[in-house]
Amino acid sequence: MSAITLTSSDGIEMSVDRTTAERSVLIKNMLDDLGDSGDAVPLPNVNEAVLKKVIEWCEHHKNDAPSASDDDDNRRKTTDIDEWDQKFMQVDQEMLFEIILAANYLDIKALLDVGCKTVANMIKGKSPEEIRKTFNIQNDFTPEEEDQIRRENEWAEDR
Amino acid sequence: MEDNAELESFRRQWREEVTRRSRPKTSTPPAPTPTAPPLSRLPPTRHEASHRNEVEEEGPPLASFDPDELAQQVGELSVEPAAEDFSRREAVEPTSALEHFERAVEKEAEGNLGDSLSHYRKAYRLDSAVDKSFRNKHYSHVWKRPNQPTPAPAATAQPQPAAVETVPTHELIASFANIPIPQAEPLIENTPPPPCPIAAVPSDVIVEILRHVALDDPSTFGRMALVCKRLAYHFAYEQHIWKRVCQDSKFGFGGMHYDFACDLLGLPIYTLGPRYTPFPKDKPVEIPQPLSSWSQVFQTLPRVRFTGVYISTVNYTRPGATAAYSNVSWNSPIHIVTYYRYLRFYPDGSVVSLLTSTEPVDVVPYISKENVMAARTPGNRKHQRNASDQGQSLSGATEPVPAVAMAALKHGLRGRWHLACLVDTPEPSDLAWKPESGSGEKPLLSDQRDILIETEGVDSRYVHTMHLSLRSPTIPKAAQASPAPPNPPKNTKLVWKGFWSYNRMTDDWGEFGLRNDRAYVFRRVRGWGLE
Repeated sequence: MSAITLTSSDGIEMSVDRTTAERSVLIKNMLDDLGDSGDAVPLPNVNEAVLKKVIEWCEHHKNDAPSASDDDDNRRKTTDIDEWDQKFMQVDQEMLFEIILAANYLDIKALLDVGCKTVANMIKGKSPEEIRKTFNIQNDFTPEEEDQIRRENEWAEDR
Repeated sequence: MEDNAELESFRRQWREEVTRRSRPKTSTPPAPTPTAPPLSRLPPTRHEASHRNEVEEEGPPLASFDPDELAQQVGELSVEPAAEDFSRREAVEPTSALEHFERAVEKEAEGNLGDSLSHYRKAYRLDSAVDKSFRNKHYSHVWKRPNQPTPAPAATAQPQPAAVETVPTHELIASFANIPIPQAEPLIENTPPPPCPIAAVPSDVIVEILRHVALDDPSTFGRMALVCKRLAYHFAYEQHIWKRVCQDSKFGFGGMHYDFACDLLGLPIYTLGPRYTPFPKDKPVEIPQPLSSWSQVFQTLPRVRFTGVYISTVNYTRPGATAAYSNVSWNSPIHIVTYYRYLRFYPDGSVVSLLTSTEPVDVVPYISKENVMAARTPGNRKHQRNASDQGQSLSGATEPVPAVAMAALKHGLRGRWHLACLVDTPEPSDLAWKPESGSGEKPLLSDQRDILIETEGVDSRYVHTMHLSLRSPTIPKAAQASPAPPNPPKNTKLVWKGFWSYNRMTDDWGEFGLRNDRAYVFRRVRGWGLE
């Protein structure tokens, strides 16, 4: 079980199991290309705090079957998240989105899925105004535009 | 001289006005005649309800400007929550005239004419001008709006002056591409704004999040579109999300049955052959012809909703006691009787049908297969709210079902449903539903919007067969002409086409009259179909 070193954007080096790190398709491909040179792998888009979280997740999920979840039937229970992941995702919103961005950059499909599901759960059952409040989004419609879009999309309101 | 000129111009104006006023009388179209062509020759088993003129089901035809239209607006403008919790909030009994009037309007919208009438009466007794104060409270914005078209004829004179400024909706949405998600402004000036990390997220991740939202509940996705311009753009343009929603079985067509999937009691029927589904996941699928996008497919194709209940409110009048002996005269009492039919569909192909006089607030949240069974076995005190609807009760514990609901649910009937399948598939083997159909006759289900329901009868000898058809609510003509017409959900009504009972012992068919029965209308119920 060889260990490799990852370097975060703020220059902190971290040592991880290779199998753990290979949950990330990006790192796996880099290692395959570089060979086992023992050099640190630079990750210029991920800072230390986020990288720690991501490694924690990969550590817990290192024995999962690789990307088997990309199936329709799993999608169906779309917002089901297992308990450990739910706890893991109990972070502030900035961290949550940073994890999502890191998962996207590092190409960790399952983690990206969990992150997106967590965000989807935050949206579930909310009104547009509540969604704006949740994510601090400004309403950039004029009242007329908003009215027009509301009428156009009325059909999706399943009632 | 000057006087004369002034008089002349006044005369001219007056004449114009008179002609304008008189025109609608001549130009109003005659009452719509039945447009549905009579079906060639109906088999003897066809129910008289299927002859019914469809116009009747689609609400009153609108004259250019009349109380009907106002009533229509009342219906449109009432602020309805997306999902109803059907909970009682009647703690406050109305006291003022206006409150009585509001309650009456509410009851009327529900279809409960008896109560509505008594509230209207009380309201008018308290204040004879209550309708004015009601209109001022709820609709003052309507006549204060500048470009509100004045009664129809005036608009014909000069073609739509101010209204043309609105951009067609699709162009408007297209212009939203690449607009960043705007950050909220700081609560206090000159302080850093609240963090808005979602603004930094790239499109593909946003789309990924939206897909999860859409598959979980398409109506939440619809609400996302109203958050900001960028999300409205994604809502309209991420068609692959809509394709997935269509194929999915939670809301889409993967969950529709085109042949019975279970028996009357809800036990699944196993078949060796694959079941028909319009958009299989394992094969390439195409958008059906006249449509051009997956969101349209989701919108237009016949689809049964599992997230709520279909309610048919029936009102009929019955002459009061003495009238049985004499003709109905002005002083003899008339009862307005209101009863309800409820249908709750399940994705496994089963359905619960309930006929009761219990009002929706009292019974709707509890309609489920489990509760019907619990209500039938009186010894069983372990009433459950329905294991699959959890998340409902705030306390987390299962609340007992109120006795009034249980009493109504005792008469609930279990059954099964399927939509008409017009694609060539081997004929379903059971012919039970068309007793006397000869070979040359049209099959009973001749429209792809048709739906067939079989339920238990009042006792085990009978099977009830309901033939219904999905319809969409009509949009008032005045609204259709506007640049951004309302676009209500389609196929949310179920109109009657026939109703029979079948006696298993004697192989007899009996027909139920549907003289008073009205179409079912879908109402979403919070928490249903989202587990």
